[in-house]
Amino acid sequence: MMLLFIYSFAQDTGQTDSCDWDVLNLNEIVVTGTRVPKLLKDTPVQTSLITSKDIERSDATDIQGLLQTELPGVEFSYAMNQQVHLNFGGFGGQSLLFLVDGERMAGETLDDVDFSRIDMNNVERIEIVRGASSALYGSNACGGIINIITKGATKKCELNLDVRFSRHENRRYMLSLGNSFKHIQNSLSVTASRMNSYTVHNAPEAEAPVVNTIFGHKTLNVREHLIWEPFIGLKFSGRAGFYMRELPREIKAPDRYRSYNGGLKGEWDFGFNDRLEFSYTFDQYDKSQYNGFSGLDIRNYSNVQNSIRALYNHTFADGSMLTVGLDYMRDYLMNTKLTGSKKTQDCGDGFVQYDWKASNRLEVVGTLRYDYFSDGRISRVTPKISARYRLTSRLNIRTAYGIGFRTPTLKEKYYEFDMAGIWIVKGNAELNPETAHNFNFSVDYTVSHYNITGTAYYNHTKNKITTGLPYYLNDNTSQLYLNYENLADFNSCGVEITAQGAWRNGISAKLSYALIYEQNSRNKEDKEANSQFMPARPHSLTARVGWDRSFSGNYSMAIDLSGRFLSAVSNRDYKDYYDLSKGMVSVRYPAYTLLKLSVSQSFLGKVRLTIALDNLLNYRPKYYYLNAPLTEGINFIMGATLTL
Amino acid sequence: MKPITLATYLIKSLALLTVVTLSGCEGIFKSVYDEPESEPQSTTDGHLYIDASNWQEWHYIDLRSVAEHVATYTDFNPSSLWETIEIPTLGIPEEFFERNNEKAGLYTYWYDVFGEGISNQEFIGFTPTEPQPEPDQWTFAVHRNNVRTNGCLVAETEFSSLSQIPDDSNWVSTLVFTPDEWNQTEVWTVQDRMLNGIIGNQGIYINKVLSGWLKMLIPPMPPLYEINCHVFVLKLTDGSFAALQLEDYMNSSGTKCCLSINYKYPL
Repeated sequence: MMLLFIYSFAQDTGQTDSCDWDVLNLNEIVVTGTRVPKLLKDTPVQTSLITSKDIERSDATDIQGLLQTELPGVEFSYAMNQQVHLNFGGFGGQSLLFLVDGERMAGETLDDVDFSRIDMNNVERIEIVRGASSALYGSNACGGIINIITKGATKKCELNLDVRFSRHENRRYMLSLGNSFKHIQNSLSVTASRMNSYTVHNAPEAEAPVVNTIFGHKTLNVREHLIWEPFIGLKFSGRAGFYMRELPREIKAPDRYRSYNGGLKGEWDFGFNDRLEFSYTFDQYDKSQYNGFSGLDIRNYSNVQNSIRALYNHTFADGSMLTVGLDYMRDYLMNTKLTGSKKTQDCGDGFVQYDWKASNRLEVVGTLRYDYFSDGRISRVTPKISARYRLTSRLNIRTAYGIGFRTPTLKEKYYEFDMAGIWIVKGNAELNPETAHNFNFSVDYTVSHYNITGTAYYNHTKNKITTGLPYYLNDNTSQLYLNYENLADFNSCGVEITAQGAWRNGISAKLSYALIYEQNSRNKEDKEANSQFMPARPHSLTARVGWDRSFSGNYSMAIDLSGRFLSAVSNRDYKDYYDLSKGMVSVRYPAYTLLKLSVSQSFLGKVRLTIALDNLLNYRPKYYYLNAPLTEGINFIMGATLTL
Repeated sequence: MKPITLATYLIKSLALLTVVTLSGCEGIFKSVYDEPESEPQSTTDGHLYIDASNWQEWHYIDLRSVAEHVATYTDFNPSSLWETIEIPTLGIPEEFFERNNEKAGLYTYWYDVFGEGISNQEFIGFTPTEPQPEPDQWTFAVHRNNVRTNGCLVAETEFSSLSQIPDDSNWVSTLVFTPDEWNQTEVWTVQDRMLNGIIGNQGIYINKVLSGWLKMLIPPMPPLYEINCHVFVLKLTDGSFAALQLEDYMNSSGTKCCLSINYKYPL
């Protein structure tokens, strides 16, 4: 990487002392931190951005691959039945809010959303805001926000076809069609993919549960987006989507996951300084099991979220901005493992935010929000204050304090599930909301073609909700129980440093490192508590170097080498779940490094051919633990894109 | 467009959205899914259904009795003739019960369920119990994915439907029949230490050929069930023959080891 920097200096004869904001993507617009559009370099809330170009260069086919490639401190692990769990900076999926265009995703498994629903064919950019953001987004925004911004309706007529093949019969076919009339724009995207199941081999005497079979899938994602702009300043948009994934855990009885979603939105800019938004969003996520013998498709889970939102902005003469929002959501959950099978909850909130431009150097944003949840009549007031101080034109300092909270979900309150006779997982209607106090401090320095950003955060969590210690009921030693409960206070903190450079000769490089510290969890009786999920790895690193160049109007080429390193991590687990007095044992999960090389060639601006070698170092885990990469060695990937 | 007109439009739109919201609060496209059927799923002649998912029960059926009832009563439900008997798990003094040196009781094994799989196992201990009680008359019995017979011999055929069985009974002479055999690792009975991979198995005679109609595979975890839909032929102790075929192993709610069995008796 050092050689690349030196080479770039030598090549970049036209460099000036000014900052190249565009090449470094710092002039990109972000919305997640304040719910109003801001330039990335100016936003008072520290935001990480994965641009459409980053997505293209990463050659990632799913959100897991993309986030792990682009961000240190991100790790996806698995449950025994291969449900996917996200850990980001020490926070699990239940304490991170995953949004699509600012809207929550319905449904969860092991507290994580179904990541396969996010169709990379449809992602314009991803904005990541670390730390508590409940003051803007409500429950679950304890550890951060990951906001997927989808592609809008195109303003030109375009047909895009993409095919991609890799190991295990992994195939993906994508089609997107956009067209535009006078006041109407429309886009349709369809993605179909599939992969066969395969078996991996573990060495004997694993210290922890391992995965032996990686289940394949068949997935279909369809999305339609329509925009109508009757005149400048007024815009209506509608969208509808369908998603289905089939997972053949049992050949004759595959699990099925479906989502139906849609929304309507009206945006009105009136006067010179006012803006009003109304939106309605519907999202339904179902799980079912299809019986290939009887032909019956029986639904066992359904989460339906209906949301109505109103958002008003007023911009003052000095550039300060007032934002007021009201949200209502009806949350319906049907789960055959739920006491009573069906539950409904009404959630309402109101918030006000003032973005004060105190001077050219200082910008302060304060937000206050009130949330109400009908089940248990829980209410919360959450504040957040963020500030950016521009010390020089190149140096920004940002700091923030916010409170995040997470109300217990209907599942955590009313669950009653016999897990294959191992234990009965029971909900707890007496759970208190989880609360996180988060402090965030970051510095970013940009000079010429270089940008370096350092972020430090500290988090104090109260009443973390998780499954507690297994126990026997009334001395009946034939049946274990596991309750959801609130844990004692615990602390976590971390540091992240990212250095990047990009030059107009086509060379770019990015190196990120994250350090994460998590205190061991303890329950309210001050006993050490294990976690149902893998802990965060203390050290992680992502790196990418790339070069792209257009040789003529008819031919261009891009080469990218990216990789990630995750350090070893130890997890505390009980020696014997049936006799906790035997204490805990530490299991060590090894470090690993993965590299990916991709070469992409574009012809006539219409055809792009990509070949990639994933896992270039041919890493094969000795044990496929639940947090090991599910790789069998080098994976050859081939893809082609046609744009008309 | 005047702002007041627009405001009215927005208010109307909001009202419409509210109506849509409330009407769709329990979801849409319910017709995509089926409703679970009440059990038993089918009660026709030639078909048996039994919920054999309980770890501590054997379910016995007497095909001779079934044939007699079907011949006598037109609306008879063959599935009603299952007799369920619990597996003895209470420990007793060891010296009382022995049979061919194969002691009735619970054989506790450690299985590597979260690692290499159940082929990697280790004997841990033995608790003698009373032998498995049996009805006076029975032909075969089922326990989850295990099957035992009352002295029958069993052969697997290549037929995938009972309708393929020839009318001429001479064809059975070409089959290779297998008797029940002693087993102490597959009739999983006590699972209260399963998280540690420790399972108490009933020591008992089972028919490995007929039990092959439903295999429980570990890995993966959770277990994978593999069905063999071939027709199996039973040679009963009186020399008569019966044909059995496992059609399905789940009920409509997805519970495993709820067995739908096609039968033909006598051949």
